Amino acid sequence: MMRIKAKRTNASEQSIEPLKISGDLKVNEANILAAFEKCSDLVIRRFSLSDSITCLAVYLSVLIDESQWNEGVLEPLQKWDSKATENAVGLPERLKVILPFTAPPEILESLEEVVHRVIYSGVVLFFDSHQTALAIPLTNQKHRQLEEPKTEAVIRGPRYGFVEDLSVNLALLRQIIRSPQLKIERLTVGKLSKTDVAVVYVEGYAVQSLVEEIKNRISKIDMDTVIESGYIEELVRDHPYSPFPTSQATERPDTAAASLVVGRVLVLVNGTPMTLLMPITFWYGFQSVEDYYMSFLFGTVLRWLRFLFAFFALVLPSVYVAITTFHQEMIPTSLALSLANAREIVPFPAMIEILMMEATFEALREAGVRLPRPVGQTISIVGALVIGQAAVQAGIISAPIIIVVAMTGIASFLIPHTGMSQVFSILRFPLVILGGTLGLYGVSAGVIAILIHLSQLESLGLPYLWPLAPFNRAGLEDVFARAPWQFMSKRQQHIQLRKELEKR
Amino acid sequence: MRSARNSRFILFFLFVCLMLAGCWDRREMDEIALVMASGTDMTDDGQVELTLQIALPIGMPGMLQSSGKGKNPFMTVSEKGANVHELIGQLQERLSRKIFFGHRAVVIIGESFARHGIDQVLDSLLRFPESRYNSYILTTHGVSAKELLQAPYQMEVIPAIGMKTLQTGGYGTAVKIDEFLDAVSTHEIQPFTGAIRSSMKEGETGFQIDQTAVYRNNKLVGYLSGEHLKAFKMMDGQARGQKLTVRLEPEKPFTKGTLTVEFLHFQKKIRTFTDQGRLRTEVAVHAAVRAVSNDTTLDLSKPPDHDRAERVLLRELNDQIVGLIAQTQKDFKSDVIGFARELHVQHPEAWKKLKKGAWLQAYPQMDVRVNTDLNLERIGRTNKSGHLLE
Repeated sequence: MMRIKAKRTNASEQSIEPLKISGDLKVNEANILAAFEKCSDLVIRRFSLSDSITCLAVYLSVLIDESQWNEGVLEPLQKWDSKATENAVGLPERLKVILPFTAPPEILESLEEVVHRVIYSGVVLFFDSHQTALAIPLTNQKHRQLEEPKTEAVIRGPRYGFVEDLSVNLALLRQIIRSPQLKIERLTVGKLSKTDVAVVYVEGYAVQSLVEEIKNRISKIDMDTVIESGYIEELVRDHPYSPFPTSQATERPDTAAASLVVGRVLVLVNGTPMTLLMPITFWYGFQSVEDYYMSFLFGTVLRWLRFLFAFFALVLPSVYVAITTFHQEMIPTSLALSLANAREIVPFPAMIEILMMEATFEALREAGVRLPRPVGQTISIVGALVIGQAAVQAGIISAPIIIVVAMTGIASFLIPHTGMSQVFSILRFPLVILGGTLGLYGVSAGVIAILIHLSQLESLGLPYLWPLAPFNRAGLEDVFARAPWQFMSKRQQHIQLRKELEKR
Repeated sequence: MRSARNSRFILFFLFVCLMLAGCWDRREMDEIALVMASGTDMTDDGQVELTLQIALPIGMPGMLQSSGKGKNPFMTVSEKGANVHELIGQLQERLSRKIFFGHRAVVIIGESFARHGIDQVLDSLLRFPESRYNSYILTTHGVSAKELLQAPYQMEVIPAIGMKTLQTGGYGTAVKIDEFLDAVSTHEIQPFTGAIRSSMKEGETGFQIDQTAVYRNNKLVGYLSGEHLKAFKMMDGQARGQKLTVRLEPEKPFTKGTLTVEFLHFQKKIRTFTDQGRLRTEVAVHAAVRAVSNDTTLDLSKPPDHDRAERVLLRELNDQIVGLIAQTQKDFKSDVIGFARELHVQHPEAWKKLKKGAWLQAYPQMDVRVNTDLNLERIGRTNKSGHLLE
């Protein structure tokens, strides 16, 4: 499918011929109009410099900052000393030096470049009888205010997140890591969208070959449009069909910066606040940046809690089904009696009950995300009352199932990273079916299969279960515990990561 | 390509094998009849009568309040026949749910059956894969297992749970099935179980477990109760918390003259001797007690009074132990205390000759000497009886 898209792009690109800029303004105007046919936002303005040289300004009115255009370009040009324009030779070059802009104007020679600049929110000035044009970037800085990231809220820690604008995001990173070692390399992805992508890393911390590999993979992406970082995430993966995330999306600058100094590489995509961290390990899905802001004791306990509940989120429903349909002797007697009591009038087997309720829960969750705020309340009422209570009272679902499903739901929200959380919610279903058909034997077989899969996963050459398998004691200080800073300096962590990556 | 198809084929068959392994014992919670207790009796005409106490979840108070009212939370079914497996089959024909022994809390042996001898019937009751080895085994006294299982019990929803809780509480003799089977299958110790009898006091229906049933090989020979039972529990290693009451002086206006002590520590050491083929055993007991109730005029903090109390306690304890051993030798002819275990360890050569049944005859004739030592270690917070005036 991608190939078809790519071909079409080639065809459309050929319509813009690599034309040189003509000395004749009328030819230029015609060419521009041809390139931007039916683009109602195109503005072509004709004016003259000191009544002697005719100029042609081309820009897209929706992209540029009009006030800057008026005050920063038009006014200085109108006031320009007429003597200077008498000698028209090298006018663009002279203007380039004179015009007071933070972003330097550029001299253009081909029409293709002109189109490119215009699209990239610039104003291009043509001068009569000049074969060069002057491009002045006049970006209209339209970005929203820095807000608290909604998906990664913390109790303690900075309250701002990335925004959609790449340059703002890069600025946020620079403000945290104030060192020229912070390298930002730019790439453009997408034939049509020409999305700006920045590969950010800290020199001396990140492994250079890894940076090259990431850049290489990104530049190989052959797509028309790249709108969100998810496109890139999926296309640069080592194992595209694994459910487990091998890169981490975050919208927190502090998370990103903390990852940079342990040697990870950050990929920012213009137009989205979600930036990509890679490579990551399995354990990274259970770490929150807040662990490092709290006392190491609480950070450690919280991690254990997350591992425990992640395990619950994965196996609780399947273990419930397995035990109640195959291994009733494992249940304490009084619990067995109340479970039997609860199941007395329920028509479906436990496995079907669980599958129904888990699916309903996932649906409720999804509905809660998509629905507009005012309707959201309806969903919670319908969810809690109708599905929770009424289903039990009507005898369709037994009450313990509701407890198991609710517990699993809460447990999956304990996993701090949505990518990892989603994996656990999906893998639950095959495990329930295994548990319902093969008992605990099936559940353990399923869990072992997941473990085998995990142990062969890699994220850009980093084994997914590192530092547990392959084992690295120093690396473990930041996995099952959050060691006090005295013992665990982040510098150490990046050295461990580097060692592991350079083995390959 | 070919090998890929082959491996897929093999995988398919492996998956089919998985299916075979699991699905056969799949059953929902509401498709099983949870047997809470089973009882075995012997009828007058020599048939075995099997009684099962089955929990009825629908009758239990719980979520389904409306349906739970007025319904019995348990039911008992019984059937007579020769072969236990056929009995279970016959019972199953009357029950719409699969009989499930996985939650059987107690196995009850009726007195009639126990006196006749617990043979393969017990084995076939215990050999089920789902049968638990940690359920308790009890022998009835003066009542049939069927009657006992049919009687309701006020304290618990299901009587079997009450029996189990009484056993875990450590009040009576608590023997689990595996321990019992161990004892049945060896000569080193003779089997014993808790003895359960029904109690009917002032309209209260129920049961009590206050005796110990003593077996000789696989036959019930008698019940231990009272002071001998206390001594037996001490010798069995359950001395902690046991109480002993002795009379120190005659009853006076304000005092009854008795002292009660509680055991803190009880150590027994059995030494066996085979002097010229004659078996002899010495039992050395060391006990430490504390006073819990002093209804005498004695002041236990004063050495003379303290020593006197110790002497009386010592005599009483010694008498109890000697009495217990005499009873097991003369009345029961059954080595429930486990002297044979020590004999086996201390004189393996002699045991080789004895273990083939000779021990059963040798035990009643064995000379047993008991040496008891007792320390009254703690006298409590007050010296004299609290209610005595100076």
